[in-house]
Amino acid sequence: MPLDFAFSEEQEFFRQMVRDAVNRLIMPRVAELDEKEEFPWDLWKEFAALGYLGLRHEEKYGGMATDTISQMIFYEELARGSCGFAMATIMQVLMGTYFIARFGNENIKQRILVPAIKGEKIGTICFTEDQSGSDLGGTRTLATKVDGGWRINGRKQWITNGPIAEFCTCMATVDPKLGLKGLNFYLVEKKGADRDGFVPGQRLHKLGSRCSVTGELVLDNVFVPDENFLGEEIGKGVQYAGDILNEVRIMTAMNALAIAKGAMDDAREYARNRIAFGNPISKYQLIREKFAKFWAWYEASWTYAYKCAWMIQNKIPCTNECMLAKYHATEMCMYAVEEAMRIYGGNAFCTEYPPQRYWRDAKFLLYGGGTHEVLCDYLGRIFCKD
Amino acid sequence: MAAVAVGGDSDLLEVEMEIYVLVKQVPDPEAIIKVKSDSELEIENKYFTNFFDEIAVEAGLKMREKFGGKVTVLTVDNKKVDALRRGIAMGADDAIQITDPTLEGSDQFAIAKALAAYLKDKPFDLILTGRQAMDDDAGIVGPAVAELLGIPYVNMIIGLEMDDPKKELKVIREVEAGKEILSCTLPALFTCQKGLNNPRIPQVMNVMKAMKAQIKKLDLAAIGLSAAETGRQAAKMKVQKYLPPPKRPPVRMIKEDFPENVKILVKLLREESKVI
Amino acid sequence: MLIVDGRKWIKCHNLPSTFHPPISKGVIMSNEIWVFVEQQEGKVRKVTFELLSAGAEFSKKIGSPLAAILLGSGLQEVVKSLSPFADKIYLVDDPSLASYTSEAYSINMAPLIKEHPPVVLLGAATSTGRDLFPRLAMHLQTGYAPDCTGLAIEENGKLIAKRPLYGGKVFAEMVFSEARPQMATVRNNTFLINQNLNKSAQVIPISLQRDPSSFKKKVLGLEKAAGTKLDITEADIVVAAGRGIKAPENFKILEELADALNASVGTTRATVDEGWRDQKDQIGKSGKNISAKLYMAFGISGAIHHVLGIGTCKTVVAVDTDPNALIFNYADYGIVGDLFKIVPALTEELKKVFAADK
Repeated sequence: MPLDFAFSEEQEFFRQMVRDAVNRLIMPRVAELDEKEEFPWDLWKEFAALGYLGLRHEEKYGGMATDTISQMIFYEELARGSCGFAMATIMQVLMGTYFIARFGNENIKQRILVPAIKGEKIGTICFTEDQSGSDLGGTRTLATKVDGGWRINGRKQWITNGPIAEFCTCMATVDPKLGLKGLNFYLVEKKGADRDGFVPGQRLHKLGSRCSVTGELVLDNVFVPDENFLGEEIGKGVQYAGDILNEVRIMTAMNALAIAKGAMDDAREYARNRIAFGNPISKYQLIREKFAKFWAWYEASWTYAYKCAWMIQNKIPCTNECMLAKYHATEMCMYAVEEAMRIYGGNAFCTEYPPQRYWRDAKFLLYGGGTHEVLCDYLGRIFCKD
Repeated sequence: MAAVAVGGDSDLLEVEMEIYVLVKQVPDPEAIIKVKSDSELEIENKYFTNFFDEIAVEAGLKMREKFGGKVTVLTVDNKKVDALRRGIAMGADDAIQITDPTLEGSDQFAIAKALAAYLKDKPFDLILTGRQAMDDDAGIVGPAVAELLGIPYVNMIIGLEMDDPKKELKVIREVEAGKEILSCTLPALFTCQKGLNNPRIPQVMNVMKAMKAQIKKLDLAAIGLSAAETGRQAAKMKVQKYLPPPKRPPVRMIKEDFPENVKILVKLLREESKVI
Repeated sequence: MLIVDGRKWIKCHNLPSTFHPPISKGVIMSNEIWVFVEQQEGKVRKVTFELLSAGAEFSKKIGSPLAAILLGSGLQEVVKSLSPFADKIYLVDDPSLASYTSEAYSINMAPLIKEHPPVVLLGAATSTGRDLFPRLAMHLQTGYAPDCTGLAIEENGKLIAKRPLYGGKVFAEMVFSEARPQMATVRNNTFLINQNLNKSAQVIPISLQRDPSSFKKKVLGLEKAAGTKLDITEADIVVAAGRGIKAPENFKILEELADALNASVGTTRATVDEGWRDQKDQIGKSGKNISAKLYMAFGISGAIHHVLGIGTCKTVVAVDTDPNALIFNYADYGIVGDLFKIVPALTEELKKVFAADK
């Protein structure tokens, strides 16, 4: 009897536990996290101590080897608390450590992965540059083969955890003329007394997700040994990236779902208590319509996102589906945060109230995992079988 | 309680304590609860571990960390085991669910009988539970279990100091006048009040363990209790009617400016509601 | 049916004040109305007088004597103060009972109760009452309604106990099985004290049933709370501040108001979590429920966790700068204003008014 839409009892319990941890550790501090625009080291250490950073990695490195659906549950619950903290955490759990776990040798795993899972070394992944975001073929960071290793030159932008990262998985090209076929991943550590590496560059000040620190990474003729080449063959970088992009996109969808729900749950409480013309505004039709539309849209996004998680878990090819899920959830989220701002009326404009924070945090989802314009072009083409 | 001499340079005795924690799952404090009819409540389906029982589990775990031994969480519930799983996620060693169709409609005294029936032949040193459950707000089960087992108990503890489990321990209890200090020997039962400790957030490793844990189920026959002692027919109390909370008349906002509003308030309190 | 509830005090009998139910002198009878007396250091707690007053109404209704059951040591003064309020006082006066413990008191009350079961046994919903009654009820295999906010009795002696559930989100009227006594602990300020009962209690001394000196649990002492004010659950007037107080030292203005009113100072979870105030002063779901005659909330937004703790307060005053604050939905009087101006002004006005009274 296929087509089962229920989580297992264990997954429900797991969700409850994560939600409880988020409620106790993050919720009391959401406003403060947003205002300070600083990485919350104490919160990071608390979460690391609970063991959540090892969610997807093998037990022998200190991880948990959890299934995909449970990971998505984790991302969804985490983002409900603080989008910024969720971004930093997800980067550590997923993108920052995936290629190291997959392609790194034992020496690298012990040196990098084990402390990363403990939260002692923060990692990140570097795709974006000044001139290239969605267009990976435009990568200009150059990796030149030298004796015993590689020399890497370039500047990476929009790097989550950049200012505090100890290591990164850096995408570089062996020859820009090769376009996508020249791309590879390299492990680059931070420059140290005894080690060549990247240097954190300028810090970016963002509209939202402010407790997640983002900035530039500068690779100035950095030497990395052969073992730092993360991959089996040269030129397969894009293919490898594709392997995690599905998860990245569903993770983005989870972020969108969490922010949307948070914004509208909060707006609901406001609407139930705000009296205008003698009634709580939740009794008026135009306000009710906003909630109804959100609800319908949310349920569809949520179901589809978890369906994609299920497909990933069951190794069913789902590149297009994941793009669709991310697109759908994010557009829904844009609607939700916009309407929450409207429901609050003039109060929305005041930074003391939550809707503006949800609105600011949500905007980034339009870009993470591919901008919607690029996605639509691609998906439209696929649909038309062009 | 078994005493195991620990060799080496310390002459500290490591005793293995048998600790039981009685837990209950109750509706989430945020759950919406409405009076549906005289005899029925509508309760939103969101359950969580009774907050005071979490404090009890934490106290049990701390004792185990200090003296060694085993912490077992127990519940009497026919449907849910959330509180048991949470106990394991926090670090408890074992979980037991007492469940039987004839328990349906039992009052707190019958629940206490079921727990006591299970515990009476176990070598327990310490039984812990929360001061009351956040659904019935009664605080009956803890003391009733102590009474049935014939052991001393202290309720509303906010401090527990034990250097040697075989000697007297010092217990601090919250009373209106302040803090009452008592001495007590084990075995004993304590009900825990907020302020005793801060329950730990479960580590994800233990959350995984809890998700997969096999929970032992016991029915009335297994614990040696007769059906005549449990269920609706044995209940000493019954709800005749449910009522919504009393409603106050709409607030009277004193609209005058300061300082007139203060003068008017005092006048109203003296002359209208006559409370000062 | 006589409804004895904090808000409505309805007399539906017109009995002459000289009415006394028949008492067989010197004998304990069954089916009496018993009230467990709470006393500390020779003084009876106010709530016991409230329960005796209610008990007197019940006694008239069902035609049974009202008895106070009193345990302790050196209780002469206590007996004197109780005398006008009860028909009988069952007295167990022994040095070994000087300190209350549930084991000692329960073991000394149980034989009396078993031999001559009262129809009703009432106690206060205090740390003592809620400690003793469940143990005793289990021992006696009888029903017990904790923390009641209302009681009523039918002519046939059946008790109806009203009590809050789910932290006060709903209330339930409980009835009891055939087992006797029907036990209940009651919140203070649920009943009014009737100063005109004018009884003259017959004191019936009962010998110690069991010496608790060998019991494994002993009271070592009491660490009194700082300050001379009553606990918030006992005080008639409670003034409280929440997050709006902005800093712990600002509680000073609240303490001055409390002095003027002879009130106790309470607070919300927010300030306790910050470490500004002690847990014992917290009002709300994970704190305490209060039944004050007057409760004044300053700078408290009115989150549901807090307001469930004040539901049975007779009069509630709220002061907050936010006109939309939820607290106003739960208050009798409200002022939209700055507590830093209002509280000192209120203190001054009260001092003036009370001085003028003298």
